[in-house]
Amino acid sequence: MNSTYLNIAFVMYFLATVFYCVGLFFRNKFLPLLGRVFILSGVLSLTLYAAMRWQVAGRPPLSNMFESLVIFAWAIGLVLLFIDLRYKIKSVSGLTALLGLLSLGYASFLDKELTPLLPALKSNWLTIHVLTCFIGYAGLTVGFIASAVILFKQKEIAKLDTIAHKVIAFGFLFLTLGIITGAVWANSAWGTYWSWDPKETWSLVTWFIYAIYLHIRFTKGWKEQKAAWLAVIGFLAMLFTYFGVNYLLSGLHSYG
Amino acid sequence: MLIKQAKIWKFISSLKLAIWLLGIIALVSLIGTLIPQNEEEVSVYQSWWFILLIILFALNLSACLLSRLSLKNRPLGTLICHFSVLVILLGALIGMLFGQKGYLKLSRQEKANSFMASESKEVNLGFSIRLDDFIYNENIDPKEKLLIYSIQNDAVCQMDGASHKNGEEGLIAKIPTDPGTEREISATGYKIKVLRYLPDFVMDIATKKVTSRSSQANNPAIEVELRDKNGARESFWVFARYPDIHQSKTPNFNFVYHWEMRRPKDFISRVTIIKDGLEVLKKEIRVNFPLQFGGYSFFQSSYDPENLNWTGLTVVRDPGVSLVYLGFGLFILGLCIRFYINPFFKTLKK
Repeated sequence: MNSTYLNIAFVMYFLATVFYCVGLFFRNKFLPLLGRVFILSGVLSLTLYAAMRWQVAGRPPLSNMFESLVIFAWAIGLVLLFIDLRYKIKSVSGLTALLGLLSLGYASFLDKELTPLLPALKSNWLTIHVLTCFIGYAGLTVGFIASAVILFKQKEIAKLDTIAHKVIAFGFLFLTLGIITGAVWANSAWGTYWSWDPKETWSLVTWFIYAIYLHIRFTKGWKEQKAAWLAVIGFLAMLFTYFGVNYLLSGLHSYG
Repeated sequence: MLIKQAKIWKFISSLKLAIWLLGIIALVSLIGTLIPQNEEEVSVYQSWWFILLIILFALNLSACLLSRLSLKNRPLGTLICHFSVLVILLGALIGMLFGQKGYLKLSRQEKANSFMASESKEVNLGFSIRLDDFIYNENIDPKEKLLIYSIQNDAVCQMDGASHKNGEEGLIAKIPTDPGTEREISATGYKIKVLRYLPDFVMDIATKKVTSRSSQANNPAIEVELRDKNGARESFWVFARYPDIHQSKTPNFNFVYHWEMRRPKDFISRVTIIKDGLEVLKKEIRVNFPLQFGGYSFFQSSYDPENLNWTGLTVVRDPGVSLVYLGFGLFILGLCIRFYINPFFKTLKK
């Protein structure tokens, strides 16, 4: 399959990262604007790439690690566009674009071969489950970035804290949708909606950490730095749910 | 005494306890994934103390809800969210107490009217299920082909046959290996058809009967039928691992079977439900497409790659599922109200 659009997207994410980051050091309106244009082009290229792959393979391109990384980068770009339009914080936008770029970079090392779906994945739940999970992951990732910036910056902390809270609430909603669609799918494929498989358990652990994050902001009034540390821990758990479970633990969910 | 009770109630209904319980359950679950689990041993998640933790959590959550049951300072979305967690846990409890789950192994034409829900507990279905057929399909990689080389009638070429096979020289056709379709061998007047595929070819020397020893690709082979201009047919086997021993009597061609790894495509159990002596339902059970009948669901769960004559079905009856799903729906609704619908109306008011 032709990977032109994937390569274009890689270049776009790279340029977006560069322009956002250069924009940090110069008071120039056009640098972040260009960053936004590049990230939009990157998201569009990835959309085209995924659509082509879907057409060629005759199935949604959501079935292995390579395809999931592409979708992850796509979802990150999408959330980034919203955050950038609304809050215009160059450091958050730049670092988010960088993470999207890293996801595409990692994908480029993996096997791009088109393989037919395993019987377990042949279901309409595949698309909705994977999309909700990865939109959730993308939200939590941007939440992590905003929180990490809080830990290193002295300015604009209140605004960053609002971004982190809102985007984590968004990510939490989609993570919940991802877990629920996964449970409903598991019930229609295997007859159990929950079997404490490592992927399921780790997604629940991640979910618990973010549930604590959302509660502790009210009860203990944890905001800014303290809440930011919890968002970092939640992000690490999310990364383990995504990568660690596949590479280090074995289970039902061995496809990506 | 009253002060003490009030203190206990305050503790049980506190968010502090909720956060601690969430953290402890998360930590224990996490550890549970790291320790290797044996099939025989009771897992962390089924142990009494883990279930106790969840019960404590449910109590804490109920107390939280009861003590803050006013719409004034608790937004509706939050209430729905927390209530729905209780609904999910209740559904899970009902499943644990009244649900049945077991395994049914059926050979072709075998009937069963009960299944084993545990080692000693047999559950009567109230009807019978019969396996009519089990079908296992594989995906053929598009790169898999039968290569056909023409052999010129000079001795040098014959001797040099091995080098022909590796190159494109003499290659006259690349035939897909899906069985049943007759295809022309480019302008030679000959036609060829793949009859069948065996992943692990073996021939009984005494009876000359050909079978597949297993479904592992130890010795992939295809049987092909060649038809010449006059309609005379011959059939023979071509082996992926042994390119030089096909038994074609036609001197014109050399055959090379370029095999590619095949992946499972479908496991299908064709079953019939028999109730009161009548065949009431015929259906295919596939992964992701269970059969539901009489309150039970049948899931395609296993098969034996070495012996495709039987199928393994998981049988489940879970009266708690609808409550769990209701809880799922409510939770999402609650989150949407809390994070998006409420703030939207607040901004409208302003």
